[in-house]
Amino acid sequence: MPARWSPLAPLPVLVRARVAAWMRRRQGLDVLPVTLERRRLYILPTGAGVAFGMLLLLMLIAGLNYGNSLALFLTFSLAAFALVVMQQCHRNLLGIAVISASAPAVFARSTGAVHLTLANPAPLPRSRVEAALPEVAAVAADLPAHERQRLELPLPAARRGIVRIDRLRLATAHPFGLFRAWTWVHTPIEMMIYPRPHGSLPMPAHRGHKSGARARGGSDADEWVGLRPFRDGDSPRQVDWKAYAREAPLLVKEYSPAGSELHLFDFAQLTDPDTEARLAQLARWVVDAEAHGERYGVVLPGVRLGADRGPEHRHRCLAALAVFGIDDRR
Amino acid sequence: MTAADSEPRRALAWACAAFAGGVLLNFDRVPAWTTAAALLLIAWRLSTERTSARLPGTVARALLALAVVAAVLARFHTLNGLAAGTALLMLMSALKLLETRARRDQFVMVGAGLFLLLAACLDRQSLVRVPLYALQAWLCCSALAVVASAGFGGRAALRLAGRALLLALPLAVLLFLFFPRLPGAFWAIQRGEQAVTGLSDTLSPGSIVKLVASYDPAFRVQFAGRAPPPEERYWRGPVLHDFDGYTWRRAPGVFHLRQRLQYLGTPYRYRVALEPTRQRWWFALDTPAQSPDTNVLLTYDNQLLGSEPLTEPVSFDAVSYTRTRALEPLGAFARQQDTAPLPPGMNPRSVALAHTLRQRASSDAGFVQATLEYLRSGGFEYTLTPEPLGADPVDDLLFNTRAGFCGHYASAFVTLMRAADVPARVVTGYLGGEWNPIGGYFVVRQSDAHAWAEVWLEGRGWTRIDPTAVVAPERLHRGVFDLLPDALARSERLLRSSAWLTRALQRWDAANAWWSDHVVKFDYSAQLDLLGRFGIRSPDARDLGWAFTLALLGWLALIAWHIGRSARPASPDALARAYTRLCRKLERIGPARAPHQGPLSFAATVTAHRPDLGNRVHALLARYAQLRYGPAAPGTRAQDIEEFRRSVARLSLSRAVSG
Repeated sequence: MPARWSPLAPLPVLVRARVAAWMRRRQGLDVLPVTLERRRLYILPTGAGVAFGMLLLLMLIAGLNYGNSLALFLTFSLAAFALVVMQQCHRNLLGIAVISASAPAVFARSTGAVHLTLANPAPLPRSRVEAALPEVAAVAADLPAHERQRLELPLPAARRGIVRIDRLRLATAHPFGLFRAWTWVHTPIEMMIYPRPHGSLPMPAHRGHKSGARARGGSDADEWVGLRPFRDGDSPRQVDWKAYAREAPLLVKEYSPAGSELHLFDFAQLTDPDTEARLAQLARWVVDAEAHGERYGVVLPGVRLGADRGPEHRHRCLAALAVFGIDDRR
Repeated sequence: MTAADSEPRRALAWACAAFAGGVLLNFDRVPAWTTAAALLLIAWRLSTERTSARLPGTVARALLALAVVAAVLARFHTLNGLAAGTALLMLMSALKLLETRARRDQFVMVGAGLFLLLAACLDRQSLVRVPLYALQAWLCCSALAVVASAGFGGRAALRLAGRALLLALPLAVLLFLFFPRLPGAFWAIQRGEQAVTGLSDTLSPGSIVKLVASYDPAFRVQFAGRAPPPEERYWRGPVLHDFDGYTWRRAPGVFHLRQRLQYLGTPYRYRVALEPTRQRWWFALDTPAQSPDTNVLLTYDNQLLGSEPLTEPVSFDAVSYTRTRALEPLGAFARQQDTAPLPPGMNPRSVALAHTLRQRASSDAGFVQATLEYLRSGGFEYTLTPEPLGADPVDDLLFNTRAGFCGHYASAFVTLMRAADVPARVVTGYLGGEWNPIGGYFVVRQSDAHAWAEVWLEGRGWTRIDPTAVVAPERLHRGVFDLLPDALARSERLLRSSAWLTRALQRWDAANAWWSDHVVKFDYSAQLDLLGRFGIRSPDARDLGWAFTLALLGWLALIAWHIGRSARPASPDALARAYTRLCRKLERIGPARAPHQGPLSFAATVTAHRPDLGNRVHALLARYAQLRYGPAAPGTRAQDIEEFRRSVARLSLSRAVSG
């Protein structure tokens, strides 16, 4: 059942934006885990609920006009029923805890997901709690009493870069669909979208020797690869003190061990005029190199990532490719 | 067929069920073909879902809709009015079913089911139908749940809807009692033509027999004080003046002034609760002293005639006398009307008999007595299944068949009186009534229908004469059923054969009376009475508004509390509270427990800090760990926890390191 992203959708865009801003001011930024308490739950009748209300109004008029007690009693019963339903709908969301929300990085032109963990600390089972990201179809889940549930909210990743989500919505129209209770959780979620690995150029061999710069302390066989930020445990002998004296951050000169393959993927060496195509090719190489267990580094205009391997390094490289040329507006 | 496939089908089935329920509730209101068409369309729609056949297109649907409107118009000549409206709603919703694909359409079907339920409520409010109405409301609400949430099981939906409706009940009652009612209607209501039950304004042989077969109550009467004896319990209905030799009729459009009367004997004060008979008669004991309501006319022949047919139950208070004397002579017009000559040449033998009897008697009163004596001694028989009478029905009855029931004898008696120029008229109504000890009232049923005569006697005025009482005196004290050796009364006699059943029937009737009195008739004035009882004498909109808002808020708070209770996380149990207390005590003398630290690890920390406390503290924390995480000792757990709580409470720790 696809639900609209915002229960306020019938309102004009400007009003909606004002309301959203007001709710955000009112609630403040959320630090997970967050328990949904009364103050932040909103509730409005759905379209069906409004129609039900109209039906009740008609019934009331008919009952009053005919002076018919049974018809009036029926009308009042249904009206009270609607109020009970409103409470039940509200309660279906009340007290749920949002434990975590994160989005693992994905490649462009695929579908990523926000991983959302919800917990129901109460002895009351919750049904059909819908979680949704802006402008994306909702995902519904049932939360049995005292249980946790992990939801994956699909998030299309069209182009490389960072997708920032500043809020997600939890809503429910359970049990009768006459009301929709909802809340916004204002928690920043970032999804890194790597460039899509694409390209068929052969992986370039190492180019370390070309630079010709040999650092003191490195063994003859080692290839100088580049500079990287200082990490705990690095040998002081490898620190680029000269650079440090020039008030640069503490950098470490990196060498690749002799014998193992070392690749330096340089943006400038690619000839394709299309930046995206070049980045796609670089991403292809990074992925392949990592898959083959080789050491690799990435050189982009203004960015140089020294040779290394491992998932963290892969992420660093791909992330650098992802945000290349995209200015961070926020 | 996968589960995902069956979900929309289930929603459709439930929406159809809610609609079908509404259709069935109204089946006796609308022409049979309407119900049949609606049910057929439902069945067809469900079968298309199974076979995934195509639904008809827009043009076909539009044509069908036009045909439906035409058919309803042809039948009712209007689209206004409850019956026509119900039929139209039924058929149009059934057509809507043909384009029901989306969830929205299914909501509409459930709405139609609710609206048909409303139509049924507007039409019939009897207690026996209330469970049906409740079931339909429940069904509709459950269907709402199934339609709203794909994948809702039927049983879960029924449970949810039932619970919600039960929670809604208190507020519904409050609203019913205090929601401001209207003294009148917004607009004129068109009442449809209806089957007539009860006495009509004509009397012909056989018309009473039909009524006698009906066990339905006509009205109920509660006397303030003494009730009249059985032989005085004549409930006056239509008084008939015109006779064509076969059928007695009311004299339409005749309005005389009522004669001034002197009331004799006991005044009887009572309250009558009339069933909606869709007739204009308001039944009162013999001679009512005055009209009980501004809409009711007390006619010159002492009937109470309402301005509108009774479509809702009505109650009224009245005072009646069973004996009166006229203080004025009979007007010329009335005399002429009630001595109207018989159709010439009819019943010659009866006319001759009347003349003979009159000549022998010294007065009109003597003539009446002589006629009654003739009926008493003539070997007449009381039966509800007399032989059909010939072309001179009175002659045939008096000299030939000698068997008939109240209608025959009243008719014959009045014929004889008129033949001798004595003013006389036929009165129809009810005789008797059954005492209901549970409700403390008499219930008068259709089967108590009766016909008698009134004769004008100089110096006394109109005098009630019941010729049936002469033929079958026991009719005065017993119901019709006891008099009949007939198949007609078999089921009733069976019901009365067991005391337990009789009692149950009386209870049921009392429940009906209560329902009709307190629920169905709860209107604007009853609401004012109720508010008066709470001390609100002249309620204005603001008072009512406040009372209403307060009641609503109070109920909402209660419901919120009731429902919200289960949504909160469980409060920490006694063991957790004791543990928290222990930790707080230990934190006062040493390092705090880190959030990740379990009890045993914390014990180690404390022991390291205060070796002197080691044993005691370790024992307590280990005890907690054992109670919390260890295997449960079933019988003694509560006791163990209590013991742990006490030892925590007893623990006192000095700040300084001792020993």
